[in-house]
Formats: sequence, C-alpha cells, structure tokens
Amino acid sequence: MDIAGQIASYTYQYFDNLGFLLLSGIGLIVIYGVMGVINMAHGELMMIGAYIAVSTFYAGVPAPLAVGLGGVGSGLVGMIIEQLVIRHFYNQLLSSLVVTWGISLIISQGTLLLLGPSIMNMPTPLGSISVGSFAFGVYRLVMFATALGLIAATWALFRWTKLGAQAQATMEDPVMASALGIDTRRVYTLTFGLGSALGGIAGGMFAMTATISPFFGQNYTPMAFITVVVGGGASPIVGLTYAGMYLAGVQTISSNLVNEYIGYVSVIAAAFIALLVMPSGISDFFEQRRIRRMSR
Amino acid sequence: MRTLVKPLMRFGRAFNGPQTLGNSPLFWICWLAAVIALIVFPLFGSRYHVLTASNFLISTILAMSLCLIWGYCGILSLGQAAFYCIGGYAYGIVAMNLIDSQGNTDLAIVAGVVVPAAFAALIGALMFYSRLKGVYVAILMLVTSLLLGLFMRQTADPSYTIGGAYLGGMNGLAPAKASDPSLPSIILGFGNTIFEFDGRGRSFYWLVLGAAVAIYLGLRWIVNSSFGYVLVAVREDPERTETFGYDVRLVQLAVFCLSAAIAGFAGTLYTAWGTYIHPDGFSVGANILVVIWVAVGGRKDLSAVIVSTVALNWISIELATWGEISMLMLGMILVCAMLIAPDGVFTGLGSAIGRATRRRAPAAAPTPEPAPAPASAMMPRRSQ
Repeated sequence: MDIAGQIASYTYQYFDNLGFLLLSGIGLIVIYGVMGVINMAHGELMMIGAYIAVSTFYAGVPAPLAVGLGGVGSGLVGMIIEQLVIRHFYNQLLSSLVVTWGISLIISQGTLLLLGPSIMNMPTPLGSISVGSFAFGVYRLVMFATALGLIAATWALFRWTKLGAQAQATMEDPVMASALGIDTRRVYTLTFGLGSALGGIAGGMFAMTATISPFFGQNYTPMAFITVVVGGGASPIVGLTYAGMYLAGVQTISSNLVNEYIGYVSVIAAAFIALLVMPSGISDFFEQRRIRRMSR
Repeated sequence: MRTLVKPLMRFGRAFNGPQTLGNSPLFWICWLAAVIALIVFPLFGSRYHVLTASNFLISTILAMSLCLIWGYCGILSLGQAAFYCIGGYAYGIVAMNLIDSQGNTDLAIVAGVVVPAAFAALIGALMFYSRLKGVYVAILMLVTSLLLGLFMRQTADPSYTIGGAYLGGMNGLAPAKASDPSLPSIILGFGNTIFEFDGRGRSFYWLVLGAAVAIYLGLRWIVNSSFGYVLVAVREDPERTETFGYDVRLVQLAVFCLSAAIAGFAGTLYTAWGTYIHPDGFSVGANILVVIWVAVGGRKDLSAVIVSTVALNWISIELATWGEISMLMLGMILVCAMLIAPDGVFTGLGSAIGRATRRRAPAAAPTPEPAPAPASAMMPRRSQ
C-alpha cells in the first residue's frame, strides 16, 4: 500500500463527493434562500437538463455547450412552472412543498410515458490520471471545478448585479422591498429560473457519469435536500459551501471505512447532529451570531 | 323516547365540534347509512371487490394518520409511508417468529404499532426538541424513509435474518428456511379462543372496517377534545400557544407518535392482507400517494380525507386499465386541486353542503345565542 496513493485517493473522493453535493444542491439552495421554497421538483429539472444535454450531444453539439443548453432548457421550464403554479403558493411553505412534489410526479411520469423507461448515457470524457497504484478520472475534477465556478458565478450575480441586489433585499424583507419599488414577483420568477437552470447544468454534468432515465433525478435529490437543510437559507452560498464540506467529509470517511450504505446513513446522522446544534442551518447560525455581535 | 335520545346526544357531542365538518344529525344519519352499506357490501360484492375494498380501507387508516399531524397539528411529514412500512415489517418479523409457539399474532400486532411509535419518538424528539422548521421536518422524514428503503433493498444477503424471518431485499420478507412458517395473516387469540382472519376473505374486510371506524371515531373524539384544541393552537401559532403555558414540543412529539402508531397499525393490516411486505413501500411513490390523498381531500378534516382516499384509490385502479397513466393523473389531480381548492376538494364540498342545509332552516334555530339561562346549568357549549 503506498501512502501517497491512499492520501490522493481520500482527497480525490472527498472532492468528488463535495462536487456532487455542491452541484446538486446549488440550484435548490438559491431558490430556498430567496423564496423559502424547497423545490421538490429539482430532481426532475435535473433530469430535463440531462436529457437535453445528451440529445444535443448526440446531435453533434460539443459537450460543454450541450450541458449549457440543458441548463437553459431547465431554466425555461422552471420559469414556466413558477408562473403557472408556484406563484399561487408564496408564503405557504408546506403547501409549496407538496405542490412542487406533485409537479415532480407529473414531469417524471410524463417523461416515462413520452420516452419510455429506456435509459440513455453519454461517455465520460477526459480519461484518467494515475497516482501510485490508483487511477483517477479527470472528469470528476472538472465537475468539482464546475461546481466552484457556478458558486462563484452565483455569488458574483448576487453581489454585483442589480437583480442580485433586488434579490437580497427581497430575502431580507419582501414587503419592504416591494414598497421600495422592487418587483418581487419578477425577482421570484427569475430566481426560480436561475435555480432551475443551475439544476439543469448539474443534471447535464451528471449525465456524463451515470445512465439517465425518467427517475434519474431521484438519485441525487435526497443528498441535495440534506445539504440544503444543513446549509440553511440565510446566506445560500456560505451555507451550501460549509454544509457540503462537512457532509462530504463524513461521507468520504465512513463510506471508506465501512461501506457505501453506511456512508449515506452517517450523512443523515451527521445532519441531525448539526441540526441539534444549529436548528435552522449553518448559515442562519452564523447570521444570528453576526447580528448578536453587531448589536453589542 | 326523549329520555333515550338525550344521553345519546350527550355521548355524541364528544365527537362533534368546530374541528370537524359534519356535526349535524343529517351527517350522522348519512354516516350510519354509509357504514351499514359498507358492512353489507361483502354479501353482494365479488371476492375481488372485497379484497380491493379491504385495501382501500387500510389506505384510509394511513391517510387519517397523516391528516391528524398535518391537518390538525401542522406537522407535514413527507415520509408517512415509512411508519406504515416499519409497522408492516415489525408485524411480519414478529409474527413469523412467534406463530408456531404462540398460535396467534397478538404480540405481532402490538409490535406493528409500538415499533413505529418508538421510532417516531426517537426521531421526533430529535426534530421537535431542536425546534426544526416545519419544512425541515417534512424533508428529513422523506430522506429517512428513502434511506430505510435503501437499507431494505440491500438485505438480499442471506445473513440478514431475524430468527425465522429473512428480510430478503427486493423480494420482500420471507421465511429464513423452508421449515420456518410463512408470513401469517391476522390470528387473534384470547386465551384458548382463536379468531382467524384470512386476508382474502370477508372476515378480514369486516375486521379492517371495524378498525377504520374505531380509529375514525377515536380521532374525532381526540380532535374535538381539549387536546385537539391544543393541537389546532399549535398549528395556528406555536409561539402564542407556548406563551399560554403549553409545551409545544411535547404536544408535537405526542401527536407524532400517535400518528406513527396509527400508520404502523395500517401497515400491520397491509402486511396481513397480502401476507407480503417489501421495500417499495419506503419509496417516493408510496410516500407521495399518502400526501395526495390527504391534500386533495382537504387536510383539515378527517371525513374529507377518507372520502378522497377511497375516491382516488378507485380512480387509480380504473386508470390502470388505460396503461401507466395513473401516477401522472394523480399528480395532475394534486396540482389542480391545490390550485383550485387549496383547502381540499371534499372540505369545500362539505362546507358548501353544510351552508346549503343550514340556510334552509334559519327560522328554526335563531342564529344569535339565546342570552338568558344560568350559565352553570348549561352544557359546555361549543360554537358552531
């Protein structure tokens, strides 16, 4: 056993798990942070992105562009869903949870009817590199880099654009924001579209590592939900990053020491422990501490 | 005649109140007619119809368990089917181990109720005592259910046996060895007397019907009792309820355990009905069905939930003949119902009927409270 290879293996798996959590969680947590809605149809939006990415890829579009198209497609679908359904459920958190779940059922079952249960896949690009006796796929690293890129882009969007400022104001106090002339409905629609597009991009990225089927999204959503719940909604980017780092660490260690199933179980156990200390998520916890320090 | 009716009315008042629709004598007459119709149904229906109706009734019990926590206490659990399945597995495992030595399944039924309640107590204590948001509770319950399903799926390895029961992965619960007894249906034993209920027969149907009616009446009594008022107070405003001196967390935990016990009982009946239980019950599809039944009917009323559960079950069986569209249609029904009637289709219908019948006889019952009469002499009166 070569130690360098072992260390590289653990590090690689950690970043691999982290990449998965960040990619599948980012769209979800943006929507949750701004609107307070946990979008149960997120997995299905990822599935739409994956299908678009794969079919455009086989139509001859280069892979990165195909993934981008998947994001655009999911984003449009997300905005339509928001316009048709979600806007009737603002401020009713539990009802919005249930209604988005209904939408997810419609999308996945509809896809099953349209395309059948047949599975599609896409080759994993970019080969592998080896350290010691271990071989590592380069694509997983690209996925992690993409996750970082998307997080940075979302952060920049919230930090520097007018829409971002409006979204932050809406997060802080929707009534006040609309009194100041911000069209909060537009902010909500665009946010939902943005979150869906991020989900679609994630779906397109995952399509190159797994076979896709109408229930493709369900493989990723449980972990994404846990990440979002642990992250909290006060500051989506911070929450997502910390929650991802924490849960990916737990998952890497326990799935290596025991098995993959124990890995999942210890993630949810770790989530419960984190929630005992910080009941409304990591970012809310930091936010409250910051407020307390400022008021002193 | 009067002397007979009066105590009956007083007894009946315990089941009536503002927390439930259908408090009029007319409602109870219709209800009695419906129950009698259900009792005599197996005498006319075919074997297949009785079998299906038993399953529908089991579903109504499960739906009532979610209605209790979501509709009355405001705790949404997206993983209610987890308790159902835990109950089913607990019943199956205990029954297969004890059927030979005991000759009945009494203990297994107890296990099917207590194990899910204990699980709910554990997970509920973690969630409610750390004051998690309602959305988090809903999501965590779903994730818990999915993980349990994932665990049960990978138990195909022969080492996963508990006594004479082999968990069996995707093939469902089975005897560990050929010599072990197979999963029994419900056999109640009192001393030396034994009542056997074959899951495919009429007697099982009547057993399930009796259980469903008892649970319905029991829950109506609970939600219209003072505990029920506290439940609704927690739903409406937990902070205010707390300032009135109630321990909101304890109330939530108690009702969560009760709901898990009822769901577990439904799962017990389900396992006995088909003498079969397998991990698909933990899946997204099973969990979403329960939510659809409750949300479409009207989560804030037990009767509406029962009607919608039966109606939706019937619709999905009818749709099954048209191909794989039943889940799609149920999803559409859910979204449309939530858009058009946010408080539920049957709750809306029920209150419309109530308004219509009340308007017909306004002169008979003067709407303002008849002011005099010493307060102490009156029965504790509940508002309409």
